Formats: sequence, structure tokens, C-alpha cells
Amino acid sequence: MGSLSLALLNSLDIGLLLFIIAVGLSIVFGVLSVINFAHGALYMLGAYLAFSCINGLGMPFWLTVLVAPLAVAALAVLIDRLMMRFVYQREPADSLLLTFALLLILNESVRLTWGTGIHVVEPPALLQGTITLFGGIQYPLYNLFVIAIGGVALVGLWLLFNKTRVGKIMRAAALDRDMAQVLCINTRLVVTGVFAFGAWLAALGGVVAAPMRSIDPGMGDKIIIESFIIVVIGGLGSFPGALLGALILGLIHGLGGRYLPQINLMLPFVGMAIVLLLKPHGLMGRRASL
Amino acid sequence: MRCVSLFRSVLALTAAVGLCATSAQAQDDDPIQIGAIYLMSGSAATYGKFAQQGIDMAIEEINGAGGVLGRPLAVHLEDSQGKAATAIQAARKLVYQDESDVLMGLDSSGVAQGLVPVLPELSKPFIITHAATPDVTGKLCNKYTYRISVNVHQNMSGAAEIAAKTGAKRWTTIGPDYAFGHQSWEFFGKYLKEKMPNAELMSEVAFPRFGAEDFTPFIDSVMASKPDGVLISVWGGDMVNFVRQANNRGFFKQGFEVLFTVGAATEVLTALGDQLPEGVWVGTRYWYGAHDNELNNKFVSGYKKRYGAPPSYNAEGAYMAVYAYKAAIEKAGKVDGDAIAQALSGLTIPAPTGQLTFRKGDNQALIGPTWGKTGAMNDADKIRSLTEMVTFDGQKITPPVDAACKL
Repeated sequence: MGSLSLALLNSLDIGLLLFIIAVGLSIVFGVLSVINFAHGALYMLGAYLAFSCINGLGMPFWLTVLVAPLAVAALAVLIDRLMMRFVYQREPADSLLLTFALLLILNESVRLTWGTGIHVVEPPALLQGTITLFGGIQYPLYNLFVIAIGGVALVGLWLLFNKTRVGKIMRAAALDRDMAQVLCINTRLVVTGVFAFGAWLAALGGVVAAPMRSIDPGMGDKIIIESFIIVVIGGLGSFPGALLGALILGLIHGLGGRYLPQINLMLPFVGMAIVLLLKPHGLMGRRASL
Repeated sequence: MRCVSLFRSVLALTAAVGLCATSAQAQDDDPIQIGAIYLMSGSAATYGKFAQQGIDMAIEEINGAGGVLGRPLAVHLEDSQGKAATAIQAARKLVYQDESDVLMGLDSSGVAQGLVPVLPELSKPFIITHAATPDVTGKLCNKYTYRISVNVHQNMSGAAEIAAKTGAKRWTTIGPDYAFGHQSWEFFGKYLKEKMPNAELMSEVAFPRFGAEDFTPFIDSVMASKPDGVLISVWGGDMVNFVRQANNRGFFKQGFEVLFTVGAATEVLTALGDQLPEGVWVGTRYWYGAHDNELNNKFVSGYKKRYGAPPSYNAEGAYMAVYAYKAAIEKAGKVDGDAIAQALSGLTIPAPTGQLTFRKGDNQALIGPTWGKTGAMNDADKIRSLTEMVTFDGQKITPPVDAACKL
């Protein structure tokens, strides 16, 4: 029983971290109809900034969680104003090409700035070590923190979309951008804001993941594949879909790795194939159902 | 009309031939071009970077001493991106566009398996300095492909000896899910059975995908199966992730023997620092502190002075490949792909690891791995030091030529 609880707990912390990262991708698609290939690179940028802040500047972890994602969001505002705004109204292929180019630029910039070495960030002193849970299982304190942060993000996002005016505006712009404009909603601001928000979420994921994973120039590429799997399984543009997809992928990694280690490589893709065969738009998908 | 155009084409042809002749003559002072293909981007980019540093240092030393046959050396570096198709494209570009005379490289075994069959088409020698799959000196061998670094057979033979000495009986593995991970386990098992017939190779094994970020499920699964020893072949960023997550799970306190097949890589040891626990066995193709001879001391101190860190095995392999080419070109007397490839066969050169010979039967260098147990932190170099070091003799540890290789 202990091993199953451990595997489930593991699935939860993997899944919720993936949720924070993937939901940004889903939101950007839902509102802007853009698949941001550079989303993984923004996650990586968040992690590298966390490394520089914590190891380089000696900033405490809590301050870094506030500062680093905001810095990436500011960069995203620049990207939107200078590059993305030209392709929103064009055919999808153009925005795919642009965000892919952005991915390559960001990857190389990170490698030029921080070098090729593998870096390590320690969790803050308060969250180091393990804690003994029910059933006598030892679990790292930091992983529990990730579950907590994931939960906070989940609740926060739900409140944002359902209970605030900003959230309603985003959903309106997603459903029908022209109508929203007619109703004097400043869609330009909404567009930039949503793009920056997506980047903020990706970078937040990066900062939170930094103490758990090694920081290297390939981490952006690894996470974008995971994010795509999640949004395909859950449905592009769907917030509850992103949660469902992330939890399912977390389960596949956690349980699959623990009990089926021989075939763990293909499990996520098998899962994706099954979902696509049964529900081509994803489990909860149809675009703009935030 | 027809006569005029015929005359024109003959004129053009003559001019072209004339140009070719003059450009061939102008090559006497042109640099000898080395084409190198390494992982320059992605998670393992640091391995390619260190290889580049080894190459640059070798070229500077050789050019400073007068070059090769009076000509300086120059290098073009291409990124394999970890994909065979990209590496094949890069190799063709290096030969046809950059006019490389010799080639070297390859970190990934998967890439090597894809690129090696294409090499006879390019007719240039290729020295592999890192990729360890036995296939390139086995069923895929050809007269252009050489390997200067340790392969899986040699490393696993050494690992099996270390494992047999520990006395642990039940063995399992955690390795990346591609050629390197699977072949490491396959040959470790084979050699371990030869040295310790009552060893048990468990059926519960873990092969997380290469680049997996979360190893905890696999760590838990291996711990639950209660082995006596674990062979771990994850490398690079994966090994850094693995060790940190394993520490969290108390993996190293379970009392079983742990062998990291390529754990003594300075790229990884620098990132881990004291998080890699003492008392685990780590293997490597080359350890800077294991060879007390003039050549190694000069190499290590020169590298430290130039780059501020001890040389990794990737740097040493690349450094030696450049020197191997120097020796081969001087033996052949000319810069010609086929002649150099032939000159490399059976060649013996001095190296920081001792005398290095390319075996005639399969073009594999006869060198042995170095294995050691992690000890106290070496504060000067800021990584763990190795104790109980064993450097295996290349002549003795290398298994006979694979029957599938018919050179």
C-alpha cells in the first residue's frame, strides 16, 4: 500500500507542475488562437533566471518566485508588441513559424548567456529534507510544496476565469474577438495581457521546477513535448482540459514508471493516441471553452 | 551557330580545368581541415563544448610546433543535435562544402549507429571519440571508422570485474532507453556471468527515456525490488537529476552496491559537487588523476591553465584524436582520405593514458576504462576525488574482435 501511495503522490506533484506549465499554453491558444512553440523556452528562461537570482545574486527563493516570472512576462510583452501582433490575424502557419523561430532564438540566447554547463539550484532552507507521512513513507518537503503551489494556481486560475471581470473579458475575447471589440473592450490590451500571462505561468513553472530538476540548455525542448501531449489529451484551449491532461500524464509517469518501467517510454504517446481516436478534440476540447 | 557554341563550351571547360589545377597547387600552405561533429546544443551541450576545448588545445600545440607536413590544422565544428539525420547532413557539408580532410566526433551512440554506414560514401577517415556502442567496431565496422575511446565492451568488462569483487549477487539496472542503456546492461550481464557464474540478473529493470526529468518512480521501483547491486548508465543532465532525486529517496543508504558506468565525468561531477555521495563506484574512459606520466601531467596542467578546470574524458578523447591524425598523416606522407584511413590501422601513439594502439581487426583503440570509488571532496578542483582507482589494461580487458566485423 505504501508504494502505491508513494506512486500516487509522485504522480500528483509531477502532474500539478505540468499543469502550471501547460495551462499557459492552453490559455494562449484559447484566446489568441496561437500555438506558442516558444512556451517551453520561456519555462527554461524562468528556470535559468531563478538560477542567476538564487545562485548568482543570492536572492532568497521567495523573492525569486515573485521577480523572475515577472521579468519573463515583461519580455513577453516586448515579443508581443514587436513580433506577435503582426501574425495574430494571419493564417495559423505564420504564427507557428514565428513562435518556432522565437524558440530557436531563445534557446541559443540562453546557451550564449549561461553557457552549456549543467546547473543546480537548491530548494530554500525551509523546504529542504524529507518528511514522514502517513503509512511511514518518506517524501521530500519540496515536492509537497510543489503540490501546494499547483493547488493554489488551480484555485487562483479558476477564480480568475469565473469570478473576475478580467477573466470574463478573456473568455469573451476568446469566443468572439470582433464582438468584444465592438463592445469597447480594449482587445489590444487583452491580447498582450494574455500572451504575457501565458509566459508568466510558464516562467513560474520554471522557477518552481528549478530546485527539482537539473538546469540545462535542453530543458525547454523536453517540456514543450510534455505540454503538447497534455493539451492534446485535455483539449486545446480548455482550462479544465489542461488540468485533466496534466493529471493523466502525471499518473502515466508516476504509475507507469513505478509499475511498468519496461514500456514507460511509449505510454504517454499510447495514451495520446487512444484519446485522439475516441475524442479527436481532446477529452474536454473544443476551442475557447475557458 | 553550333560551331561557335561548341568552341565556347570547350573554352569554358579548359578555363575550369585550369582553375582547378591552380587551386590544387595553392593548397600546399592551406590548412589541413578537420571536421568535427558533436552535441553542441540541448541538455548534453557541455560534452560537445569540452570536446571543442580539447581540439582547440591540440591544434594550438601542433600549429605552434610547425603543423603537420608543414601545414597548419584548422577545425570546423558542426552540431549533431543528437539526431542521426542531422549528423549525416553535417558530415556531408563538412566534406563537400568545407573540404574537410579528416572527420571526428560523436557523443551519442544512436547517432553513431546512423552515421557510420554513410562514411564509406564520403571516403574520409572518422575517429569516434565518445560514442560507445560496440556496433561501430562490430557489425557496422568499415575501413574509415576508428574509435579512440573506450566502448561498452571494455567499460562493462571493467565494471563486471569491479562488481564481481564486491560480491553482490542480485543485480539490476537503471539506464536510458536507447542503445547505450540496453547494451550496457546486456554486456555487463554477459561479463558478470563469466566472472561470477552464480550472479543473478534480475528481470525487474528500469529504462527511463533519455531526458526524463523525473526518475523517482524508477528509483522507487528498483528500491522495492531489493537488489544487491545496481548498474546505472544514465549520463549527463539525467545523472545530475537522478542523483539529486535518489538522495531524496534515500537510495544510497539502502546498502546495495551502486555502479555508475560513466559517472566520473567532470561535466556531471562539477554540477553535483558534494551531492554525489561517497562510496559509489564510478567509471570513465579517462580520469585526469589516474595516470602519473609526463604526457598526462603536461596535458592536465596545460588544460587547467587554459580552461580553469580539470579535463573531462571528452576533452581528452578529442585531444588525442587530433594527435592521432597528426601521426597518421605523417605516416601516410600525404593528405588523402584513403591513405590516412589506412595509416591509422594498427597505429600506436603515446597518449596520457599510456601507449594507445588501434587494433587492426576492428579499428578499436586498445584502452581500458578507469573505475574508482567516490571519496572526499577535492577542494582545489571542486569535485569528488576517486579512491581505490583501477585502470584496466587495454590489451587485457578488450574482448576479441567481433565476428561480425570483417575488415
